[in-house]
This record gives sequence, structure tokens and C-alpha cells, in this order.
Amino acid sequence: MADASAPRSPFAPWDRRELPGLFTVEESARRVGHYAWIEMRLFEALGGWVATVPELDVKTMLGRHCYHHAWHAELWHKRLPELREMRPERMIRAPNADLEAFVAALTEPEAPELTIEKLVGVYRVLLPRKIGAYTYHLAATSRITDGPTIRSLGFILEDETTDWREGEMVLQSLVQSDEEVARAARRQGGLETLITRAGGIAGPGSLGGEPADSKVGAAS
Amino acid sequence: MRKSFPAEDLARDDRFRRARTEDRINDPRNQFLPEGRRAGRLTPERPDAAHAARQMMHGIFVGEIQALEGAGRTVWDFDDDDAPFALKLDMARQCWDEARHTEISVKLGEWMGTEVGEFAETTFLYEAACNPDPVLRLTGVNRALEGLAIDVFNTMREFGQACGDPVLEFCEDWMLADEVTHVKMGSDWLRRLTESDPGRRERALEFQRVVDKLFSFRGFRGEGDDSPVQLARTFRRMAGFGDAEIDTIAADAETDSQQEGWKAPV
Repeated sequence: MADASAPRSPFAPWDRRELPGLFTVEESARRVGHYAWIEMRLFEALGGWVATVPELDVKTMLGRHCYHHAWHAELWHKRLPELREMRPERMIRAPNADLEAFVAALTEPEAPELTIEKLVGVYRVLLPRKIGAYTYHLAATSRITDGPTIRSLGFILEDETTDWREGEMVLQSLVQSDEEVARAARRQGGLETLITRAGGIAGPGSLGGEPADSKVGAAS
Repeated sequence: MRKSFPAEDLARDDRFRRARTEDRINDPRNQFLPEGRRAGRLTPERPDAAHAARQMMHGIFVGEIQALEGAGRTVWDFDDDDAPFALKLDMARQCWDEARHTEISVKLGEWMGTEVGEFAETTFLYEAACNPDPVLRLTGVNRALEGLAIDVFNTMREFGQACGDPVLEFCEDWMLADEVTHVKMGSDWLRRLTESDPGRRERALEFQRVVDKLFSFRGFRGEGDDSPVQLARTFRRMAGFGDAEIDTIAADAETDSQQEGWKAPV
């Protein structure tokens, strides 16, 4: 047995977490506010769509995923005051008008024959963007100082990837004809254009570059 | 996507058949049921017990779909000023629960020998979820509709016990636990949202009473032996209903069931 009084490093040899990270407290709070905003818009839309889709398996999937994104929004709401943001509602907003335009277009379809358009927007455009932005955050922020955000990101990314996979499989089962393939592609192209203009779910810099990098060291 | 979604537009696949509530209630087959097929407490001794249980199971199934749709619309229809974020979180949670109940109901229906679309669907449950005031909507759905769900699930749970059907008993017991939670949510939000507005609370409770009377269907739900669905007093108390409230529902149901020329379906 090892000598209990022998000094040990506070970090195990395999623990490669390092300081500092790319994000200041302010930058992390800015991003978390945008994450909360998009999660809220998404869970509201999924809830609203339940009544509009005739496919029973899609109906129950939307109900299930609606809660997942509501829970993500709740996690981000709770995180903001811990990032020195005492008025979270100030930070919970779209990063720019382009993302608002994207959400307006995303949530527009209502008719029962538009299930493909509804699902493409969520599972082929928005969720991949969310997974990208969250994964970037996970890689860029300090895994020591921003530990609580990292933990939430872990839970959320697990949900996002599982839900994305399920949504994509349902879509593949719905898209059967050449015309449906074309419909899905048209819809994806239109929404991709809008979210690209927005710069992603956290605006420009969602996957690095401006403005996140420009903040490095700003607080020191 | 519109804010506020009418019941007639609820999306369904081709298996479903929609019936108007008034046609269902006034269906002459319910008024002149022959001896032995008279509505009554759902027990294995009823000659039509298997059929009645399947019909009730199908009713639960479409009710779960509508409860899912209603909770989803509450998440979408109201902006942050009308409905607090925490309320929407609860409704999103309810979406998940009702989605599970829909899945459970499909499997239970198959287990009991029915299938999607065997019985007609009315939309009066969803209609309770269409009120433009979030407090009245929540009261109609989470106290009246979910309260009815407590009664129905407990009735089916007891029927499963009496039949020796552990699958039915198991599933109904799990769904019953969720419904008690939903009613507690409704009671809590009613109190919180009307704390400084007793008039609004009064209107909400009056709306609940109207919906509850509709759900009692002239004897469909009550405490008499003729009622297929029994009022589940113990579980209602657990969910936050006061004894006086339960007494009112029971009294209204009793008064309603004494109307002549009509017998409850199922």
C-alpha cells in the first residue's frame, strides 16, 4: 500500500486540464445567454408543432424532445447568475437580428403535410449548429474555472446528439421520393443561408474566431 | 405557426375517426342499451367488461394525445409576459409525460386487443386546453382534465387488479403517479398566478367546475355503482384537492347522473 503521508500532485497524471481557457467570465455569460434564448425558442416550437403533425411517432418524439430543450434552457438560466449576471433576462436574447429571422423561418410551417420541413429545420440545420457551438465551447473554455458550464454542456450534448440521431432517422424514414428529397434539400438550403448569415447560434464566433478570440485575456 | 390552434385542425393519420362530442353524447345506442349491457362500474363481472375496457383504453389513448397537444400548445401559445418561464418548463415536462402515456396506451391497447382507430375520437379534452387565459387553461387542463385522468387510471388500475392482469395494473399505476404530479402542478400554478387577483382565481375555479361537469357526463364519472369511472378520492387528496372540492365534484356528478332518458356510454 502506498505511503498515505507521501505528497501527491493535486492532478492525477492523466488529468490534462489546463489554465487559462479562451473565455472570460463575460464571454461565457454572453454565450450562455444566447444558448438559453435558442433553447427556449426551440422547445416552444416543438411543443407547438405536436398538434400539427399527423404522424404518431413524430408527435411523441416532439413531446419528448420539447422537454429536453426546456431542461437545457433551465440549466442555462441557472448558470447565468453564477457568471455574475444578476439580471439574466438582459443576456437571454438572440445574438443578432439574423438569428431572429432564422427562428421565424424555422417555426413558420404549420400545415400537417409539412412534417419534413419542420423536421429538416430542427434536425438537419439547428441541432448540428447547436452541437457545433456547444462542442466548441467545451473545447475552448477552461475545464477548471468554467467547470459548471462544462458539466452542463456534457449533459446537453448527450441529449443533443441522441435527439439529432433520432430526428435524422425519422426524417430518413419520411423522405421516400425524389420530390421529398428535393423538398428536404430546398428547406435545408434556405435555413442554412439564414443561420450562416447569423453566424450560428451564438452569432459570429460560434465556432471560434470573432468575437470570442478577441476577448482572450480581456479580463486580466 | 399560429398562436392558438383549433380542435378541428388537430392533425391525425388516416386510422383516426373524429366524432362530434354532441353526437357521441346523444348517440341513441347509449340511451337504449339492452339489459346486461347497461353502463355501470367497470368490473370483470360485467358481461361487456372486455369490450368496455378496450373502449376505455382507446379513450385514454386519444385523451393522452390531446393532453400532449394541449401542454405543447401552452408552451407555444403564450409569450413570456403571459406565462412565466417556470410554467412553460412544467408544461414541457408534461409534454414528455403525456408522450410516454401515449406510447404506453398504444402498447396497452394492443395488449387488450384493440387498435388505433377502432373507436371514434372526440376532442372535448383538447377543447379544455384552448382557453386564451393561461390560468383558466391550466385550471381546465391540470385540475379538471388531469383530475379526470386520476379517476380513470385508478378505475383501470383496480380493474386490472380485479382481472388479475398485472400488465394493465402496472401501467395504470405508473401513469397515475404522473397524473397526481400534473394536478399538483396545476394547483400550485393556480395559487401562484392568482395570488393577488382573487377574481381571476374565482373565474378559473368556475371554469374548472364547468369542465368537471362536462367530464362527469351525466354519470360517466361519479361515486355511484352506475358510474363506469369512480371518483378517486384518496389520489385526488394526494394531488392537492380539498375535501370540499371533491364533494362538489361528487355532488355535481350525482345530480347530473339522475337526469332521465340517458345512460352513460362505456
